[in-house]
Amino acid sequence: MRKLFAALPGPAAVRVLQMVLIVAVALVALFYLFEWAGDLLDSGGVVG
Amino acid sequence: MRVLGRTLVWSGLLVLAFLVYQLYVTDLVAESSQEEAKVELVTQLDDRRQDLPAPEVVQQESPQPTSDPIQFYVEPLPEEGTPFAEITIPKIELDAVVFSGVDRQTLKEGPGHMPWTPLPGQPGNAVISGHRTTYGRPFYRLDELVVGDRVEVETAIGLHVYEVRQIEVVKPTDVWVTDPRPGAWLTLTTCNPRFSARQRLVIFSELVEGPNLRYADLLLQREVQG
Repeated sequence: MRKLFAALPGPAAVRVLQMVLIVAVALVALFYLFEWAGDLLDSGGVVG
Repeated sequence: MRVLGRTLVWSGLLVLAFLVYQLYVTDLVAESSQEEAKVELVTQLDDRRQDLPAPEVVQQESPQPTSDPIQFYVEPLPEEGTPFAEITIPKIELDAVVFSGVDRQTLKEGPGHMPWTPLPGQPGNAVISGHRTTYGRPFYRLDELVVGDRVEVETAIGLHVYEVRQIEVVKPTDVWVTDPRPGAWLTLTTCNPRFSARQRLVIFSELVEGPNLRYADLLLQREVQG
């Protein structure tokens, strides 16, 4: 995380903003990954 | 070696986070939805009862002189995504609000009724699906049911009591389980085994008490007589 933050361009405030965006996108992607993988555990029981 | 170690640690954390999300967070989501739905269901049932059409009086071919005329109670289809019934299975301590629809979002809130099948309490085969291990796991203990156990569903027209008649484990593509059946049936479907969506556990139960029991019996007799 620290390496990524250091590699981001611009002043500190812009880098913080970029970091927040990256984390938000990662969390959303993680949520969809978990939802997709969750269907392997339990898809809701629907037939068809 | 260090990279491998880090990768393994992160992979482990990811799997742990996944399990916590699926087995704990989704339960909290469903619990909250069910609490809200229980309140909403009271209003929904009141509203639906006010809008019910008068029961149809069914003509029997050879009525008994002493018997009352058979009445057929119908209720309009609920809007998809709304709570419209309550399912209770005393043996497995299940008490859940049933929603109309079986899309992903609806099933996260509770068991869902397949809208292209009849409503519970109506003639034919009403099908309700539910999660087994996530999102409140309403059907977690469905495998404990045996032939003869009672399943109760309350809708706007009254309480419908079913008895389990048949239990099957089928493939997820075995749509025959939703086919119409003579009489009045309730079919419950869920994932099987627990923690896997590889198969479906299907519980077929037949109406034994309720406003439409006599009508369902009449339809069954007609079916048998051809």
